[in-house]
Amino acid sequence: MINCQRIKKDLVAFLHGELEENERELFKAHLDQCSGCRGELEELKRVTQAADVLQEDIDEAMATVDWEALPSQISRNVFRKEVRRHRDSWLTKAAGFLLQPRLKPVYAGLLIGVVLGALVTFMVFRVSQPTDIADTGFFAPQDFLENVELEMARRDTLDYLERSQYLLLDFVQSSSERSADFWQSEYAAEQARDLLTKKKYINPQLDKFQLAKAKAICDQIEFLFFELTQISVHLSAEEVNKLQRMIEDKQVLLKINLIKKELEKQHEM
Amino acid sequence: MAVLEETFECKKKLAENKKLEGNEIYPHEDIYALIERIKEGDREAFMTVTNRYQKRVFVLAYSFFRNRDDALDIVQETFLRFYQKVNMFRRGENFQNWLLQIAKNLCVDYYRKNYGKNRELKTDTPVEEMNLPLQNGNNPEVSSDLKRIFSACIKKLAERQRMIFVMKHYNQLKYKEIAEVLGISLGTVKSLHYKAVQNLRGLVAPYMGGQL
Repeated sequence: MINCQRIKKDLVAFLHGELEENERELFKAHLDQCSGCRGELEELKRVTQAADVLQEDIDEAMATVDWEALPSQISRNVFRKEVRRHRDSWLTKAAGFLLQPRLKPVYAGLLIGVVLGALVTFMVFRVSQPTDIADTGFFAPQDFLENVELEMARRDTLDYLERSQYLLLDFVQSSSERSADFWQSEYAAEQARDLLTKKKYINPQLDKFQLAKAKAICDQIEFLFFELTQISVHLSAEEVNKLQRMIEDKQVLLKINLIKKELEKQHEM
Repeated sequence: MAVLEETFECKKKLAENKKLEGNEIYPHEDIYALIERIKEGDREAFMTVTNRYQKRVFVLAYSFFRNRDDALDIVQETFLRFYQKVNMFRRGENFQNWLLQIAKNLCVDYYRKNYGKNRELKTDTPVEEMNLPLQNGNNPEVSSDLKRIFSACIKKLAERQRMIFVMKHYNQLKYKEIAEVLGISLGTVKSLHYKAVQNLRGLVAPYMGGQL
């Protein structure tokens, strides 16, 4: 025989049909005889019935849901989230691998390497390639360039003086008959024009390198050639001879020689 | 004892009605085949499973929260978790119980996260002002208040007692199934269900004119 305490403990299970068949029979037999347990059962039944009022609420709520459409809606969201999750997980894995603490020394080494490499590159290229490389197209030290320019000016001056010397020598040594027409000859006129042109070219160089003596003689020669080519046409033979003598008197050719020697000496130095 | 027999009959009918509404029992092999397809990313199979089990998850969540939108959120989240964990499902397991276990965990987490003491009962009329004999249940207004009272009382139950009560009364699960879903012993389920009914009895009684 089951006692009331055991019955009451399992009354809820009995009410919901959760007991085995043989237990149920025992319970029924007890309840037939025990009015206390029967009353307890009635009260529990009323609680259960009260719980059933919520069933209507559930049914009403269920009626408001579109069950036909819900699976496709859920499926759409789930598969979209899954794609995003896969992508995110791939990124997370990659980030996780790259950002793992044990790789920190590697990154530090790489960073130091990059910084040092950049510094070394900067230093090396800064020394060997100045900033004006793009303007000149080649590089040479400034003093070297100045020397080259001076040398070129010296040579040009020497050439000018030499050619002038020869021309004047020709003029001075020409016979009195020919001297009047000397500057009208094609050769002399051309030579004189060339020399006048060359003088214009070497003028800035003479100024730049302060070749005062050379410039003075060159100016004299220039003046002389100008006079001889422009004026000699209107001069008499006698006046031309006078000019020849004046060149000899003023020792123009000698002065040219001296300046030439001086310039050559500068070159040897 | 005739009353008792009537009660059992009533329960049986209720359970049968539930089956007709979407609690059909599907052959295990059929479910396993569907799950294998889902593991391969078959969307159609996923939709079929969702269609079959969505109402059961909804009933569990709705009974727990008494809120349609929250219950739908739980349904959505449950099937998302199901898809994410589908590879963990082993052949031989009861799929429904496995799925309800996911839903139950989500309900508990969701409740702890979003429901606090502030959201226990939302009603215009204080519960204390409602005094409704059960016999007046046919009156719609009285019925509405009774629902609110009972809903509030269920929410006052401890978490596990509430879950067991909901599973037993609204999901029509057997003790054995509840034990599997909750991962506890059959005896514990029986004991907690008993406590839940007794506690409800105590909570509802003051509003029922002390008839319980």
